[in-house]
Amino acid sequence: MAAFKAAGASVDKENRVRMSPGKVTDLIGKAPSEIRLCGRNGKHDILLGGKRVYAGTGGTALNVYEPETGQNHPATLEDLKKIARLVDKLDNIHLFLLPTYPNELSIEQVDVNRFFAGLDNTTKHIMGGVYTSEGLQQVIRMAETVAGSAEALRERPIISVITCSISPFVIDGEYGDMVVAAARSGLPLVCPSEPLCGATSPVTLAGNLVVQTVDSLMGVMLVQAVNPGMPVIFGSVATNTDLRDYKYIAGSVEMGLLNAAGAQMSQFYKLPYYATGGMTDSKTLDAQSGYESAITSLMCALAGSNFIHDAAGLMEFAMTVCYEKYVIDNEIIGMVMRAVEGIRVDDETLAYDLIKEIGPGGNFVTARHTRRFMRREHYQPALSDRNSREKWEAGGGKTTWEQAAGTVKAIMETTAAKLPDTVRGRILAEIKGIID
Amino acid sequence: MTAQIIDLVRENVIQGRVTRDDEGIEEGMVGQPGVTELIEEALDSGVNIADIITEGLTASMEAVGEKYENEEYYIPDMLASAEAVGVAMELLEPHLARNGIKPKGKILIATVKGDLHDIGKNIVSILLRGAGYIVKDIGHDAEPGDIVNAVREEKPDYLGLSALLTSTMVNMEEIIKALKENGLRDKVKVIIGGAPVTQEYAESIGADGYGADGFHAVAVVEALRSGKQPFS
Repeated sequence: MAAFKAAGASVDKENRVRMSPGKVTDLIGKAPSEIRLCGRNGKHDILLGGKRVYAGTGGTALNVYEPETGQNHPATLEDLKKIARLVDKLDNIHLFLLPTYPNELSIEQVDVNRFFAGLDNTTKHIMGGVYTSEGLQQVIRMAETVAGSAEALRERPIISVITCSISPFVIDGEYGDMVVAAARSGLPLVCPSEPLCGATSPVTLAGNLVVQTVDSLMGVMLVQAVNPGMPVIFGSVATNTDLRDYKYIAGSVEMGLLNAAGAQMSQFYKLPYYATGGMTDSKTLDAQSGYESAITSLMCALAGSNFIHDAAGLMEFAMTVCYEKYVIDNEIIGMVMRAVEGIRVDDETLAYDLIKEIGPGGNFVTARHTRRFMRREHYQPALSDRNSREKWEAGGGKTTWEQAAGTVKAIMETTAAKLPDTVRGRILAEIKGIID
Repeated sequence: MTAQIIDLVRENVIQGRVTRDDEGIEEGMVGQPGVTELIEEALDSGVNIADIITEGLTASMEAVGEKYENEEYYIPDMLASAEAVGVAMELLEPHLARNGIKPKGKILIATVKGDLHDIGKNIVSILLRGAGYIVKDIGHDAEPGDIVNAVREEKPDYLGLSALLTSTMVNMEEIIKALKENGLRDKVKVIIGGAPVTQEYAESIGADGYGADGFHAVAVVEALRSGKQPFS
């Protein structure tokens, strides 16, 4: 409230904040239009902004689905570490958003342990929600230790934080304090909002988009009021609900439309964008899980969503993750990213001279041009089966998830990207409560 | 005449039309009397109140329930119908005692301290009103002390508590303890619900019932009312 007042807003008796359109525009204008999210390894750095597209994991799920048994088990800290190891080796997943809540941990233990599990098992950027203010402070100290110093962490932010508002139009006390604390930390922050059609927003998509835009801008503005110039990401988790029972829906075509539209809104406000896509409501790895994940990811990506979160591993209303699905979604994201690249049209790719040279009845099999472009022009599948029936049967006639299970097993046999021993030792000694 | 008004009440509850300005499901209903106008007319012309309730309201909610089960109706349809019944009951309430009709029961409902998520609680309120109960809603983020005071003053038959967060759910146990300390625990049946709540949790804190969703909550209250044990 104080921050909003200082920025020129009026606050009435019911704590309703009002601000003139000019001041709103000024405040939003203070937010940077590009944000660099860094990996522990610099090759994983990404620059959010414009129409650049990246995709990553998302959360926060409570269960892990095991396709072999068809059952879910409660997600544990061990699962989180293993998923981090897996994602570290899946090349199309650009960053690691902490995907699960380890059921065995108390709320006081959860922040440090989630971030440590991420930092210690992948060199990709770590993004995550925090549950307590104390937890947030410990997580920042941990990241500073990994980065080398407080300044080094701000220079190369290897972690970023997510805080949520309540749609429609509410910032509650506890989360508001967390936003303020995160804003003061100088680390990149996401302010997503999650309006649900017919529940917390109008049932129409346009009406939902109004609520989503206002709620997310409200977070952006609070952050700029507290700490002008602070990197903040405009976020959307907008979707519809099943109006027969008000379940949250994660794989609908409307969710794809809403989050693609959010990209256009963020481009209008010149803010980096965090979209939600690539999930499914299926309880198993079947056709539904594939088409829902692919359609929503693709829609977000083609609209220029800077960071599509939830794009890997999630199923069953975002309540459940699955190791094999990370591998399957890695393939979907690979294809989606190829679609984003589009078709390069220039003299070289049109190959007009080559076509003339080869002429009627000729072929392009031996042309140097073919070899020059064949690898980069066409996406090389990491999972999809393109064998003949005979060869596929000889290989065991595996379905997609069985194939993916093989990839999971192979990655788990590789060495994990652990933190350097000295850094690990210091973190374990200085920060209490980490379960190694 | 009497039969005709009751038929219209039934039809308009099914259409979910509270007043003459409401749209309903079928086209072209705007401007025709809704449940409010029909009940007022019925009261003016001396239609038997017990008949309005059983034939007009209860029967129509059963029909609405069937439509929902058959996937013809969505939740907002159910809520519109329940709201119409709630409004009808409010209009009928002053006439109940005189006609020797006892309301089904009084329910106090709240979302517990620390929790701002009250959509579920509001839906349960509408459905309970629709089922013919008198519902007193004391809002969200409700302090245990305020809830205890309200139980003392309002003397409800049932107390409904909701929470969406695991971290606020624990306040339900505090409220049950506070009721015991104030000698009120045996005066009211406590029913709890919300996303993190489970039957095991309800049993562990000594609640009388657990509603898995809005419809189940109504069923649990009905079971308690007829003296059945909802946990069995």
